[in-house]
Amino acid sequence: MDAAPVVLEMKGVTKTFGPVTANDDISLTLKRGEILGLLGENGAGKSTLMKILYGLYSPDKGSISIEGEEVRIKDPKDAVSRGVGMVHQHFTLIPRLTVAENIVLGAEPTKGGRVDMAKAMKDTEELCERYGLRVDPRSRVADLSVGVRQRVEILKALYRNARILVLDEPTAVLTPQETEDLFSVLKELVGDGLSIILITHKLGELRGVSDNITIIRDGKVVATVKTSETDEGELAKLMVGREVLLRVSKEESEIGGVRLSATDLVVKGSAGSVAVHGVSLEVKAGEILGIAGVDGNGQTELAEALAGTRPVESGVVLLDGGDVTKVGANGRQGRGLAYVPEDRGSKGLVQDFSLSENNALKTYEKAPFSSRFGWIFPKAMRRSAAENLRAYDVRPPDPDARAGSLSGGNQQKAVLARELSGDPGVIVASQPTRGVDVGAIEFIHGQLLKQRAEGKAILLISLELEEVRSLSDRVIVLYNGRISGEVGPDATDEQLGLLMAGRGMDEEA
Amino acid sequence: MEELFGNLGQLLSSTIRNATPLIFAALGGMFSERSGVVNIGLEGLMLISAFAGVVGAFLSGSALVGLGTAMAAGLLFALIHAVMTITFEADQIISGTAINLLALGGTGFLMVEVFGSGGTSPNVQGFSPVPIPLLADVPLVGPALFNQSLLVYLMYALVPTTYFLLFKTPFGLRLRGTGESPEAVDTAGVNVFRMRYFGVALSGLLASLGGVYLSMGILSAFTENMTGGRGFIALAALIFGRWHPVGAAGAALLFGFAQAFTFQAPQDVVPLEFLQMIPYILTLVVLAGFGGRAIAPAAIGKPYRKE
Amino acid sequence: MSEESREPRDEGGSAFGKFLRGVGGALVFPLIAIFIAFVIGALLVLASGNNPVAAYISLVQGAVGDPTAIGRTLLNATPLVFTGLAVAVAFRAGLFNIGGEGQVFIGAITAAWLAVSVGFLGLAAIPIVLLACVLTGFMWGAIPGFLKARFGAHEVITTIMLNFIAINLATYFALGPLRSEGIVPGTETIEAATRIPAIGLGLGRVNYGLAVALLAALVIYLLLWRTKLGFRIRAVGLSPGAANYAGMRIGTNTVLALAIGGAMAGLGGGVEVLGVYGKMSIPFVSNLGFNGIGVALLGRNHPVGVVLGALLFGGLASGAQEMQFATDVPLDLSDVLLAVILLLVTATKLVELIIGKRARALASGTRLDEGLGNQ
Repeated sequence: MDAAPVVLEMKGVTKTFGPVTANDDISLTLKRGEILGLLGENGAGKSTLMKILYGLYSPDKGSISIEGEEVRIKDPKDAVSRGVGMVHQHFTLIPRLTVAENIVLGAEPTKGGRVDMAKAMKDTEELCERYGLRVDPRSRVADLSVGVRQRVEILKALYRNARILVLDEPTAVLTPQETEDLFSVLKELVGDGLSIILITHKLGELRGVSDNITIIRDGKVVATVKTSETDEGELAKLMVGREVLLRVSKEESEIGGVRLSATDLVVKGSAGSVAVHGVSLEVKAGEILGIAGVDGNGQTELAEALAGTRPVESGVVLLDGGDVTKVGANGRQGRGLAYVPEDRGSKGLVQDFSLSENNALKTYEKAPFSSRFGWIFPKAMRRSAAENLRAYDVRPPDPDARAGSLSGGNQQKAVLARELSGDPGVIVASQPTRGVDVGAIEFIHGQLLKQRAEGKAILLISLELEEVRSLSDRVIVLYNGRISGEVGPDATDEQLGLLMAGRGMDEEA
Repeated sequence: MEELFGNLGQLLSSTIRNATPLIFAALGGMFSERSGVVNIGLEGLMLISAFAGVVGAFLSGSALVGLGTAMAAGLLFALIHAVMTITFEADQIISGTAINLLALGGTGFLMVEVFGSGGTSPNVQGFSPVPIPLLADVPLVGPALFNQSLLVYLMYALVPTTYFLLFKTPFGLRLRGTGESPEAVDTAGVNVFRMRYFGVALSGLLASLGGVYLSMGILSAFTENMTGGRGFIALAALIFGRWHPVGAAGAALLFGFAQAFTFQAPQDVVPLEFLQMIPYILTLVVLAGFGGRAIAPAAIGKPYRKE
Repeated sequence: MSEESREPRDEGGSAFGKFLRGVGGALVFPLIAIFIAFVIGALLVLASGNNPVAAYISLVQGAVGDPTAIGRTLLNATPLVFTGLAVAVAFRAGLFNIGGEGQVFIGAITAAWLAVSVGFLGLAAIPIVLLACVLTGFMWGAIPGFLKARFGAHEVITTIMLNFIAINLATYFALGPLRSEGIVPGTETIEAATRIPAIGLGLGRVNYGLAVALLAALVIYLLLWRTKLGFRIRAVGLSPGAANYAGMRIGTNTVLALAIGGAMAGLGGGVEVLGVYGKMSIPFVSNLGFNGIGVALLGRNHPVGVVLGALLFGGLASGAQEMQFATDVPLDLSDVLLAVILLLVTATKLVELIIGKRARALASGTRLDEGLGNQ
């Protein structure tokens, strides 16, 4: 392996988007026949780096060399001509067309002006044979399962003679069996001389498939290690460890009775596959139960199922002892459950509404905002909003300001203001500080702790380990839609990392 | 017996004549919409071309020149729609509406300038029926199908041609991809904007043939507002035909038949107006999902912005 | 996508100042569009060998030059307020109502028939007839709403189809069961006692239907900003995701928005019959629905804007007649001007090029970027 020639070298690549530095002086080396894992959390900068390689972005600084030759990649066509192929996370397939049509689009074999479909089919079948990818070129992509669609994406790249294949989070949508199949295909490909970069945030799956792993954190390369010489614990530490920005001091609180509980919840994700596999949990008054885990392991769906915005397939949700499994979000709201969704932009707030209107988004039908005859009273809304906005440090505390004009942190505070001002008994907060500036983070943490001190039951879902640890009384870790373990806030990074990678579960998934 | 055949023959002939402009416009609309750009300005495109054709024929004395000016006018107006919606990201529906209004006002305005008065233009050299030897003598269908204007014969050829273009050539494949998933074709290296410009330009050219047929194929003059909603019927035919050339042509024939039938059928049985409603009710039924959902190209209606 | 930190805009100043700024901001786009359109129009006039200055002077004179002209303008504007509201309400819910044309016909035939039947009630019949028009227009507008909510059928196509169906339906009644024995084909003439009286004051035929129109605009304003339903309609239109999360039913509000739009247009048809024509003759008015779209867009989908837009359209139509009479410039020029205005108002990027990036922040009140495919 060490003797193999270098096929790709990215040196000092830097890319900024406005104030955000997505890639900060990143360097990466790929040898022929190697499978390199590119590991990092969501937003660490892995996708950006690969998009630069594929010509979708151009770097502000740095160089790329392919097969020893420095190149300037202008667009995807250019990248493809240099042998770079990419299998995107969100498939770039056209559902209505057939497999063969999707594969050849843009590089069609022609015969006398018409597309030579026969040749396309033959070429496709040849590729399938060679690499053990079973696909029927005649079938419509819309009819194919996700695993098969991914094979089509790979075939697209192979058809264009890719020598460097980049796969962006390929296993995010696959079952364990499909993942195994994929990895054996990858091994076939490198056997044939291709080189592969595997982007992932699931640190457990690289074992047994990658030769080396480059870890990226906050836009920088943290380390490059040999897969055989590391373990998940070390990878977890490298991947998520960050400087401790805020250590929130927490007092002991009085823990009361169970206010929110879930039993054997099974929830389907938006793609139709099961995202939560029989999760049970309890949240007591006066405690913060943190849910940790790498993004995409079912946290979102679990939060939505508890809040009532997503139906459950089976299981029971109890709110203050009452069965609310069949009750919608509004009903649960009425019974004292507040929900701070993770997507404040398109789910939490109506961007073009004023803060006053957003503040009343769920309560506009009740007094004092409205009367029996269908009227609403904007003045009352404004007054209430002004109070809330000030109480929750929203800047500017102007009820007439358009929600979309506020910064991310202030928008989040506005959502918080709305949800918490109704004095709820139970709070489900999903990634409440995502994309929020430090000052707002501090404030939001303070608010959550205040609610805890007042005896509310809080479920906190977060991708930030430090946040989860410093705020929670207990932490459960989700992996693949199941609870892989429960720890106290004093757990080490290593312990958490293992749980996040699925180790520590009683049975293998 | 002969009378029955005579009537049937007449019915068939009328059906073809009614359907021809619809087919042209529907095929044009198909290319635009398949590339992802809604085009409800077919009405306006037909109207301006009908007018431009007559002007060209009037000034030159040749119907062919008229055809050329008609196609140029259709192309020009279509390009306005294209620039507005593709490059300047205007709303496609509003732009289409504006095109219709522009054609309406433009033809009225220019009528006076070119011909001196509104209403109807002077007669010009048109594309009168030209029988195809031998074929025109086939009993019953011969005269109906093969004693028609040259433009009709062009339409016959165009249906399979557009089918071939859309489904068998690289251009067609890429066009269809653009309308379904511009992101996908963009990453495959196809220029989405260029594809859409082509699609809209084609809609202008084809719709112009429909317009020219109205003013110079059936009649030999331009009358104000002579399209009378046919652009919208063509749109309905396109949707009813599931954005497929053969389907759209078939739907247009059906609508053309309905129109022809309304004039031949005894009106005390079913009132004229109810017969005229049939194409529209049918389209509603199709849209409501009976007989399979009419699924438009997935990416239609939205401007494409590179990330 | 990177998260940018946004500077909170300094929204200082009094409430009135804010209001002025809001109105001013909203007017910038349309005013620029109007200006450019007139420039293009002037070029066309020049090209046709006429004097643009003279043409525009007579245009303005024909619109507001004397009481008769003003009366004509108001007369033209009245139905456009209704069809403009019909489009605006639907737009607020994120929907495109092109069915104004048909909805007007439905209201008109309702009025033409009912007013004859209840003519004996005299003036008292008017509110009853108008209410009936509101109801039939409401029902007709509910159809595309239902088709959209239940089947996902896009309202652009369904409303266009329903236009033709409505026009044919109304024509059938007007020329068939309801036909009068007169030379002009159409329904019976309604007795004078049941007609909406003219305002007089030397303003020509303009009648108190104008007051009804202004009242309708007020009602729509109150509906959208002072009622629960209006709150829901606006939320659904601006952010279906957030509205859904807040428990609002997208489907129900969709149907209601389109139905209310239909009600407005139907009312407009009724007012035309009761106030202007006294019957429904065939051919009846045309292009009211389509012009309503332009009016709504120019007016940024706000009732006040709709009234102003209707006045502009009405003035242009009225002035164009005078212009043709006085200077030989064909009145179709007004259609060309309107088309250009429409194009420019919606081609935000183009106007941005002309007046800079700040333009984008001024567009508001609509969410027109839904595709035509199944949603």
